[in-house]
Amino acid sequence: MKQETKEYQYDWILWTIIENASVTHDGSVKEYESLLTLIPHFREALDEIIRQGEAGICLMKLMARYLKRCLTAHDEGRKVAFTTFCFSTPVLYAFDVVPIVVEAMTVLGTFIFKRGTGEFLDYCSEVGFTETSCSSQRGALGAYLAGLGVRPDFIVCDSPGICDTNANSYAFASAYLDIPFFQLNHPPTLADERARRYHQADFRCLVSFLEEQTKKTLDIDRLREVLEEVRKQDELICELTEFQRLTPSPVPNIFNLFLYSGTFLMSGTSDFTELLELMLERVRENAARGVAGSRSGGERVRGFFSYIDHYTTDLRFWRWLESREIAHLGCILSSFWQEDAIYAAGRTEAAYAVRTDSVDAMIDSLAAQMSRMPMVKSIRGPYDAPHMWLDDTMLFTRLLKADFVAYIGTMGCRNTWGMVKLLARDLERRGIPTLILYADAFDDRIQSWEAVTDRIGEFLHLRGLTSGEPGLVSSG
Amino acid sequence: MIDTFRTMARTLNNPFVEKWKGSGGKVIGFPCTYLPEEIIHAAGMLPFRFRGVGTTSLSVGDTYFGPVICSFPKCILQLAGEGRYEFLDGAVIVPGCDSMRRLDECWRKAGEDYQGSLPGYFHYFGVPHKVTDYSISWFEEETVIFKESLEQYFDLTITDDAVAEAIGLYNGIRRLLCRMDRLRTGDTVLLSGSDALAVLVAGSAMPRGSYRELLEGTLDSLEREARDISEGRKRLMLVGSVNDDVGFMDVIEDSGGLIVADTLCFGFRSYADLVDESDEPLKALTRRYLQHSYCPRMFGYYKDRLQVLRRRIREARVDGVILQNIRFCDLHGSENGIFERDLEAEGVPCMRIEREYGPLVETGRLKMRIDAFMERLG
Repeated sequence: MKQETKEYQYDWILWTIIENASVTHDGSVKEYESLLTLIPHFREALDEIIRQGEAGICLMKLMARYLKRCLTAHDEGRKVAFTTFCFSTPVLYAFDVVPIVVEAMTVLGTFIFKRGTGEFLDYCSEVGFTETSCSSQRGALGAYLAGLGVRPDFIVCDSPGICDTNANSYAFASAYLDIPFFQLNHPPTLADERARRYHQADFRCLVSFLEEQTKKTLDIDRLREVLEEVRKQDELICELTEFQRLTPSPVPNIFNLFLYSGTFLMSGTSDFTELLELMLERVRENAARGVAGSRSGGERVRGFFSYIDHYTTDLRFWRWLESREIAHLGCILSSFWQEDAIYAAGRTEAAYAVRTDSVDAMIDSLAAQMSRMPMVKSIRGPYDAPHMWLDDTMLFTRLLKADFVAYIGTMGCRNTWGMVKLLARDLERRGIPTLILYADAFDDRIQSWEAVTDRIGEFLHLRGLTSGEPGLVSSG
Repeated sequence: MIDTFRTMARTLNNPFVEKWKGSGGKVIGFPCTYLPEEIIHAAGMLPFRFRGVGTTSLSVGDTYFGPVICSFPKCILQLAGEGRYEFLDGAVIVPGCDSMRRLDECWRKAGEDYQGSLPGYFHYFGVPHKVTDYSISWFEEETVIFKESLEQYFDLTITDDAVAEAIGLYNGIRRLLCRMDRLRTGDTVLLSGSDALAVLVAGSAMPRGSYRELLEGTLDSLEREARDISEGRKRLMLVGSVNDDVGFMDVIEDSGGLIVADTLCFGFRSYADLVDESDEPLKALTRRYLQHSYCPRMFGYYKDRLQVLRRRIREARVDGVILQNIRFCDLHGSENGIFERDLEAEGVPCMRIEREYGPLVETGRLKMRIDAFMERLG
């Protein structure tokens, strides 16, 4: 690793950048525009977020607060846990544990730094982690393993049986750093009695682990408070998803990123509720005006991303979609399976409900929520089994009226690369144009961003999904 | 006798299977040491562990699997697509890792395109990734479901007595394999690593009763001859991803090494623990199979595995450790990285190597790396 890369702590520098970026809009528009010229590498990303108005500004402030909490946790007497994006955080907040969501830290580095997280990815390999492991963890993990971040007190993950590559990253970090490790693991089925019993027993074991690590017993009132917040958030998320069904979709593409980042980092906190309310306000305005969420207000084609998004520098993925007036209808990361979600109608066994009437009800609710997190729900069993990847992709595509499906993952994703060709074949047979991108969402060195856009563009062209120049279809 | 084992290890189908099939016996394939194969034996059928031996192309494997997937399940699928697993009456998929569990869908879909490539009985057998009271209970239920599915599909009954008898037979084989282990780990080494692998592989591909007899005769003969083959050779231990390729072992041993110990799944892991014969058969069986956490698929047990390695290194007086993984096997590959760090710190020379499963197209590269390691060992 270059000396210059080791000059600053990874998490500290992210916080500094985001903290400063979050106040750029506190002054006048003229001041903001002048400040933008001074931002070297992620000017466009910042502007894309701030342009979303109050919701964008709120996201920046929320991220700044989250990062500061990670940095100051130990000083304030809190424990810090490494965890994964698909681990539902409310239980950690109930214990006043600060979660460092490794994939989110990778995403931040990827879209903010000029060279992304390349050097940290490579550092991971140098200390023994395979270079074929998932880049979503390796990006930030490299920095933490190099000592360039807060040292976590323990690790909790819930990916064994879902994505072993993900679980392996956390097991590796635990062995490397010699810190305690807890895994929730999942049976290959979702909605049957055996799976439910397993989830509940496993979750109780997690609670015991957290009690042991924090030296605290679970604070029932605090847990209820957190869950009440989750319930509010669920209602707001369900309403947002319903808006995505409209044509044009009034939901700005980047709100998908807002939605899942907020959920992964701050589910159960009032900060996130505020963000959702502001997002919804903007979406309602767009819907009332009958315009799409894009910059131009137009929508030419609607896409569903069957797995994850592309996190290349400066949020180019979202900006490129906008420039082509391609509506982003979500991805596997933005479906959470609340019982009131529009996609859960008629599928209540696949959804979860938040109940707060007793301690057991609360713990069971958390267990059910955890087992329905993105990826955890739909990648646990055979892709073509009930409630799994094919079912979900078909459902979202139909419900959201998507014109095409695209797959983007990472080179480390054994689980989806093991079946994505089958998924694509099944979708095509059902008349849904489907594109597999051989890119890595976190590492531009695998396939350049230019190659990715060329491939999506050519695919849309060949499948007759777009014509003419972008920007012509505008109703706003 | 070793030649018989070596021939069996180098081929997929073998005379024992042909004879078994000829007398109307059924064969059930499975991929992993986490399946309690005694259940299959108790059903009167032949458990056959999948291998990709003899693969010369991945045209079928690459059609269904994506590009960044371990070549082991791809080779199995390739052979299935080519009709070379036509002797199977059934197959059980076990989630040893992500690549292996996707063999379920890839094989089922290939079965739609390559007529006859999918066995009539096809079953997915779940395995938890941790050892707790509730995971053992779940695993026991899964084993009962597996047993019942065999009973239903093949219209037979698997009695507790038959399971207990199978446990007795398998424990007997495990004791013999531990005896074989001692012929390798002692001061005098009577059996090469590649020969030992041949013996172990053959044991996963033939009726276990015949295997026990053949194995016992071989061990008697080796002990009688007492021919030490360790003179002037470095004592090595092989660790990591699945290996059923005696050719790979030969490459290592032809370079002046002698593999005296391993922690592989076609190896030590398959015989290291006995099933408790005093307990209720199904309970005892499931405990033995889930509780041995030698594979990194059991997340969070690194220190236990390191202890096993240390013990094996000490017992076999190992000069160096080869930590190998098949490309895209992140579980073994990453753990090998930490093993290397920790063992080197204790003064145990280690070498990490990444390879492909299947035909040894990279013999030259492997040989060069191993030669360099031998030089280091002096």
